[in-house]
Amino acid sequence: MGIIDSLTAFQIQLITTLIKFVAILVLALQVPPLMVWFERRAPALFQRRKGPNRVGLFRFRLFGLLQSLADTVKLIFKEEVVPDAANKVFYHLAPVIAMFPALVVIMAVPFGNDFHIGDHLITMSAIRIDSGFLFILALSSIAVYGVAIAGWSSNNKYSLMGALRASAQMIAYEIPLGMSLIPMVLIYQTLDLNQMVLQQEQVWGIFKAPVSFVLFFICMFAETNRAPFDLAEGESELIAGFHTEYNSFKFSQFYLGEYVSMFTLSLICSCLFFGGWQIPFVSYQTLVNLTGYEFIASIIGTIVLLHKAAFFMWAFVWVRWTLPRFRYDQLMNVGWRFLMPVALVNVLITAGVLSFIRFGG
Amino acid sequence: MAELVIFLSFASIMLFSSLMVITRKNAVPAAVYLVITMLCAAALYALMGADFVATIQVLVYAGAIMVLFLFVIMLLNTESDIEHGFQIKGPDFVMIALTVLSFAITCIALMAGKGAVNAPMETMPVDGGNTLAVAKVLFVNYLWPFELASVLILMAIVASIVIAKRDNAGH
Amino acid sequence: MNPYLPVLGIIVFSIAFGMIVSAASMILGPKKTYSKVKYSVYECGLPLVTSARERMSVKFYLTAILFILFDIETVFLFLWAKAFDGLGWFGFVEAVLFIAVLIVGYVYVIRRGALEWE
Repeated sequence: MGIIDSLTAFQIQLITTLIKFVAILVLALQVPPLMVWFERRAPALFQRRKGPNRVGLFRFRLFGLLQSLADTVKLIFKEEVVPDAANKVFYHLAPVIAMFPALVVIMAVPFGNDFHIGDHLITMSAIRIDSGFLFILALSSIAVYGVAIAGWSSNNKYSLMGALRASAQMIAYEIPLGMSLIPMVLIYQTLDLNQMVLQQEQVWGIFKAPVSFVLFFICMFAETNRAPFDLAEGESELIAGFHTEYNSFKFSQFYLGEYVSMFTLSLICSCLFFGGWQIPFVSYQTLVNLTGYEFIASIIGTIVLLHKAAFFMWAFVWVRWTLPRFRYDQLMNVGWRFLMPVALVNVLITAGVLSFIRFGG
Repeated sequence: MAELVIFLSFASIMLFSSLMVITRKNAVPAAVYLVITMLCAAALYALMGADFVATIQVLVYAGAIMVLFLFVIMLLNTESDIEHGFQIKGPDFVMIALTVLSFAITCIALMAGKGAVNAPMETMPVDGGNTLAVAKVLFVNYLWPFELASVLILMAIVASIVIAKRDNAGH
Repeated sequence: MNPYLPVLGIIVFSIAFGMIVSAASMILGPKKTYSKVKYSVYECGLPLVTSARERMSVKFYLTAILFILFDIETVFLFLWAKAFDGLGWFGFVEAVLFIAVLIVGYVYVIRRGALEWE
């Protein structure tokens, strides 16, 4: 490892961060095309029909997987109609604001355990800061602006109303989301996701905090504007949603941001409640002894995590095509009047039980 | 050296967006520029090593309070004016000149080694990071302010509802 | 290395990525500007009546304010949860007091009907 020794610690961290960033970005950008394909084939399965299965390559139909590629190419080459009355700067800025929080948050997810190259500790997430959790929550709050600014800058009353309702929905469900994560911090006593995963070797998080899981699962749907909370999208079938004046690639940027958010939340859910990159009952040390290299053990962890996240992505599609949509007032009532008190009581009960266990009766 | 470069870039973005806040004709762009100012402030906190405060700044200030501002402005302002380009008038020049002057004085003072920024920064190495440090102090030394904060929040809840519901009869 | 340096780099790159991709589609698409109707605002009905707008605004304002206040509470609870082990029963009682005061506020909100219809 002659080259590795000659670089300083700072340079090694810089290079590995760049590699991790590119790798995670590429991974995150594969998800939307795959999900678009899956979003059409899965309901076909539920509804006893075939979805798109023609687009293929060299006479192989390939289950219609290239349909997403065809859609993307079509969208990029479509004409971009910018309304005259729109506020130009914010009109162009809004899809970027909708997309970038999801891409940044996914960099904070641990895709595997930390491994060593020589003397240097390399983490499997591009961002490793002490207040990892709060960072994720903070960036999710920024995502609200993408929707709000998109609706306002279109200079269309219906866009504005749709945007305000979608933003109100997103902020209403951020509180139960945050509160459902407090018991996890109480149990694991850390804000770092990788530490939480490491502590789930014997018992998964869902067995320690089942109510938190249910709350988080429900808020996952509301935060990403997915069914049954998808009034912001569904409205665009009835009147106009917040992205009515957007076309061509900017339109798909909103959906890109949504699918990447879904993927990120699925990853976080797996890390918190389902053991993350851990194989159940197999400790990291066992894997290292098995394969001989720490790096390979970490990559195995990544594959395990991706499987778990894929299950949640399938759950997203399953729920969307099974449940009917909520009305707006039902949606807000569930968020404010049901989920929030449940989350608060959950915090109190978890803290009480933990106090008894840890500090004695 | 790198810290100085990052500090100067964030500080200039912050100054520029605060200038834009007070010169916009339309309230919504002003609110958005204010959000950018808050985010730059968070970046400056992170630069100083106060990562907990930086995260909370983004979470609460830029993520909640500015959302409230934006909601209220958007609801009161549905007939929005169309921006007619960048218009600077006479008094604006004075303001811009004063801002640039104060910024230049600050830069010169920094370079010359005056001011507290150039003092060696003492950060306590803490186990468990910034968050744990804040938590330890908050719940032991500052117990009463913590409980009073909850009463303050309760007052805010009651006051906002009373003000909002005052116009409607009934309830 | 300051752990926030990758954060800065990643944020800058993500924003740049979004803008480049967005600009690419603007450049690559055809531009047919001969139809003026295309560029007008999309409306499919009469504009909203003023009184309806007034009623909705108060609910959005209340939602946003209550969101701020409960967000602040969540932040305090995160701090407490991080230091939970070191504080023992003393910290638990502290936090229960804090949450109790806020539950009083929440009950007031519900009883006043501030979150009705939404």
